[in-house]
Amino acid sequence: MLALSLTNGLVIGIVYALTALGVSLVVGIMNVVNFAHGEFYILAGYFSYLFAHTLGIHPLAAMVIAVGLVFLLGLVVEYTLIRPTYGDDMYSLILTFILSIVFQSLFLLVFGPYPNKPPSWIKGATEVFGLFHYGNQRLAALAAGVVVIALFFAMLKLTWFGRMIRAAAQDREMAELNGINTTRLNLLSFGLGCALAAAAGVILAPVFPVTPTAGTPVALTAFVCVVLGGMGSMSGCVLGGLVLGVVENLGAAYVSTGYKHVFMFLILILVLLFRPAGLFGRREV
Amino acid sequence: MVKAIDNRWWLAAAVAGFAALPWGLGIYHQHVLIVSLFYVMMTASWNLLAGYTGQVSFGHAAFAGIGAYASGILATKVGLNPWLGVGAGTLAAAVFGFLLGVLCLKMGGIYLSLTTLGFSEILHIIINNEYEITRGTMGLQVPGLIAEYSKLAYFYIFLAGAIITLAVVHRLIHANIGLNFRAVQNDERAAAALGVDVVRVRVLAFTVSSALAGMAGALYGHYLLLITPQIPSLDQQFLVLSMTVIGGLGSFAGPVIGAFGLEILSEYIRAYGEYHVLAFGLVALIVARFAPRGLVGVWKQFMDRRRPAA
Amino acid sequence: MALLEGRRLSKRFGGVQALTEVDFAVEAGAIVGLIGPNGAGKTTLFNIVAGALPPGEGQVVFDGWPITGKPAFRICRRGIARTFQVTRPFGEMTCLENVAVAIVNRRPDLGRAAWGPMAMEYLEAVGLGALAETAAKHLNVIQKKRLEIARALATEPKLLMLDEVLGGLNTQEIQEAVGFIRDLRDTRGLTVFWIEHVMGAIMQAAEKVIVLDQGRVLMVGTPKAVVADERVISAYLGT
Ligand SMILES: Nc1ncnc2c1ncn2[C@@H]1O[C@H](COP(=O)(O)OP(=O)(O)OP(=O)(O)O)[C@@H](O)[C@H]1O
Ligand SMILES: [Mg+2]
Repeated sequence: MLALSLTNGLVIGIVYALTALGVSLVVGIMNVVNFAHGEFYILAGYFSYLFAHTLGIHPLAAMVIAVGLVFLLGLVVEYTLIRPTYGDDMYSLILTFILSIVFQSLFLLVFGPYPNKPPSWIKGATEVFGLFHYGNQRLAALAAGVVVIALFFAMLKLTWFGRMIRAAAQDREMAELNGINTTRLNLLSFGLGCALAAAAGVILAPVFPVTPTAGTPVALTAFVCVVLGGMGSMSGCVLGGLVLGVVENLGAAYVSTGYKHVFMFLILILVLLFRPAGLFGRREV
Repeated sequence: MVKAIDNRWWLAAAVAGFAALPWGLGIYHQHVLIVSLFYVMMTASWNLLAGYTGQVSFGHAAFAGIGAYASGILATKVGLNPWLGVGAGTLAAAVFGFLLGVLCLKMGGIYLSLTTLGFSEILHIIINNEYEITRGTMGLQVPGLIAEYSKLAYFYIFLAGAIITLAVVHRLIHANIGLNFRAVQNDERAAAALGVDVVRVRVLAFTVSSALAGMAGALYGHYLLLITPQIPSLDQQFLVLSMTVIGGLGSFAGPVIGAFGLEILSEYIRAYGEYHVLAFGLVALIVARFAPRGLVGVWKQFMDRRRPAA
Repeated sequence: MALLEGRRLSKRFGGVQALTEVDFAVEAGAIVGLIGPNGAGKTTLFNIVAGALPPGEGQVVFDGWPITGKPAFRICRRGIARTFQVTRPFGEMTCLENVAVAIVNRRPDLGRAAWGPMAMEYLEAVGLGALAETAAKHLNVIQKKRLEIARALATEPKLLMLDEVLGGLNTQEIQEAVGFIRDLRDTRGLTVFWIEHVMGAIMQAAEKVIVLDQGRVLMVGTPKAVVADERVISAYLGT
C-alpha cells in the first residue's frame, strides 16, 4: 500500500512538475501568472483524443501535433492578450481568468461534459519490485515526464535560447541592456510555457481523462508547486511537484480520498506562514 | 456646494423612482430585479478591492458562499433567526477574509489571486464531501427572511442591501483610507515611502470586500430558499468579474451598470443555454483588452473629447 | 551628533557587489552630499536606509534607533523622507491627492477640509500650485521631481533624502533650487542627505561630501577638499 501510494505520487508528481515548470517559466520571465494554464493542459488532452480517436492518427504523432498546436495557440494568446498588459499585472490576471472560463465553456460545447480519454500507448501491467502490479501506461507516463523535464533543463543549460531565458529571469533590465530582444523572448516563453502544460496534458490524459473543468485543479496544483518551490525557481518547482504528488497520494491513501486536493492547500498555507519565499526560494521579499 | 445638493436630490429621485418600479412589474421581472440587486452588491464590493486597490480576488463568490452556508446551516441546525444568520454570515466571511488576507497579502497581489482561487476550490470540495451538513449538489433548504414569501418584500430587502453596500464603498473611497487604497494601487513602493502601511491597507480592503460578499450571499440564500454550490462557483465569480469589467473597473457607477446590464441581458439570452457564458466571456475579453475602464471609461473619454479643450 | 549613521553596510545583487562595508554619518542640521560615478551604489544606499530594499550586512541607526530592515512605512513615520531618482508619482491621482497621502498617514484625524489647504501649501512651496487638480501622470519630468519633493516634505521629516532632483534644470533654476533646499534647512531645521551629479550645487550647499566609488567610500570631506582630491577626479574620469 505504501509503495503503491508512493509510486502513484511519483507519477502524478512528475506531471505536476511538468505543468508547474510552464507556470514558473512565465512567472520568472514575464511576471505574469497565467490563470488559463490548466485549460491549455486540457486542450492538449482533447486534441490528442481528437486526432488519435476520431482521425485515427497514431497516438504518439497525435500527441506531438497536439503540443505543437497548443504552442502556436500560446503564441497567439501572448501576442493578442498578454502583450498589451505589460507592467499591469492586474490585467493579465483578469484577462487570463476570463480566458480560462471561455475555454471551459468552449470545451463543454464541443466535447460535452463527459470525460474523454485518448488511447493508451501500451497495455498490460508490470510487477514492480515484486511488490505490486502497476499499469504500464502509468509507468510510461512517468518515463515520458522525466524525459521531457530532462530535455527542458538541457535546453536551459545548453542552448542559446536557454541562456537568454536564464539571463532575463535573473534581471530583466540587464538582459535588455545586453541586447536581448525581450519582446520576442516573452512571446517564445509564453508559448513554451503553454507547450509544457500541453505536454503534461497529453502524457496524463490516457490515465486521467480530461473534462471541461478539470483544468482548474491542474492549474491550482501548478501554482502551489511554484509557490512551494519559490516563485521563478525552476528546480524548486520540480521538487515542489514531486512533494505535492507524494503528499496528495499518501493523504488520499491514509486519511481521506475525498479531501485529496485539500492537502495541497494545507501545504500552501504552511508555506505562506513559515517560508513565504518558498522552500527553495531565491527571490528577495 | 449647490451642485452637491443638486446631485443629492437627483440621487434621491432616482432611488425613489427605482423603488416604485416593481409595483408595475410581474413576478418574473421582480425576480430579475432582485437578482440584479444581488449582483450589484457583489460587483460593488469586488470593485472596492480590484478597482480601488488593484488586487484581484477569485474568491468573491466563495465568500458569498461562506455567508450563505454559514447562515443557512445555523438556521437549519440550530434554528437561528435568518436575520441574525445574515449577520453571522457576514461576520464569517469577514473572519475568513481577514485570515486569508493576513496569510498572503504581505507577499503581494499575485499571491492573493492564487490563494483565493485555491480557497474557492477547497470550499467546493468541502461542500461536496460534507453532504450531511451541506446536502452537496442537492442543495440545502433554508427558511426565508420573512414569514410570508413576497417578491416585493424581498425586492426592498435587496434594495436596502445594495444601498448599504454602495454606501460603505462610497464612504471608504472618499475617506482618507480611500486615498491610501488608490496610492497602493498606483505605486505601492511610493506609498510605503510616504508612510502608508501597505499590508494593513490591503488586508482591510480585502476584509471589508469579503464581508460585503458574505452579506450578499447570505441574503441571496434566504431568497432562493435553496443554497447550492452554484453560489460559490467559479462561474458565479466569472459573472461578477465580467460585470465589473464591462461596466467599468475602478469607477463607482461601473459595477452597478454592469450588474444590471448583464443580468437583464442574460435573462434574454438564457434561451441559447450554454452559449451565454461563452458570449459574456468573449465580450469581457474584448472589453478588458480594448477598453480596460469599461463602459464608464468609454463614456468619460467620449465626454472629454466633446468638451472644448481647457 | 550624527542624526543618521550607517555601519559597515554591504549589499549584493546576484553577482554585483553594490555596497562594500560602507560607513557614513549625517550630522543633525547639516546638508551632506553623496556623490560618485554612475553605478557607484548611491541609490542603493538610500534604498537600504529608507527600507525600500532588504539590507545585506551592517546597521543603520537613525536618531538613536536601529532601523535596519524595518519596513519602509515605519522608517518614514520615524522621520525619514526620500525622493525617488526615477520618479514614482501616483499617476491616476491629482497632485493634491499625491501630497495628501503623505499628510493623512501622519495625521489620520484630518478630513479633506483640513488636509486640502495643507497639501496646497506644500505644492505651492515647490511651484506646483497651479497644477493641484491635474492628474500626476500628465506632469513632465521636472514637475514630477518637484512633486516628489512636495510629497516628501508633507511627511514632515527630520531627514530629507534627495536623489538627483536637479536633472534637466538650467543654471538659473539650479540656483533657485539650491536656495530652496538651503532655506528648508535654515528655516525648518531639516537635515538633508543629497545625491547629486550637478557638482556646482553640492559645492554651494553642502558642508560635507561623501564620495562613493564601486560600492566603497572613497573619501569624506568638505566640498573643496573633495573636488581637489586626485582619487575623486580619477574615479569620475573613469581611469
Ligand atoms: N534592484 C536591483 N537589482 C539588481 N541590481 C541592482 C539593483 N539596484 C541597483 N543594482 C546595481 O547595483 C549597482 C549600484 O546601483 P545604484 O543604482 O545604487 O547606483 P547609483 O550610484 O545610484 O548610480 P546612478 O548615478 O546612475 O544613479 C549597479 O551596478 C546596479 O546595476
Ligand atoms: Mg542612483
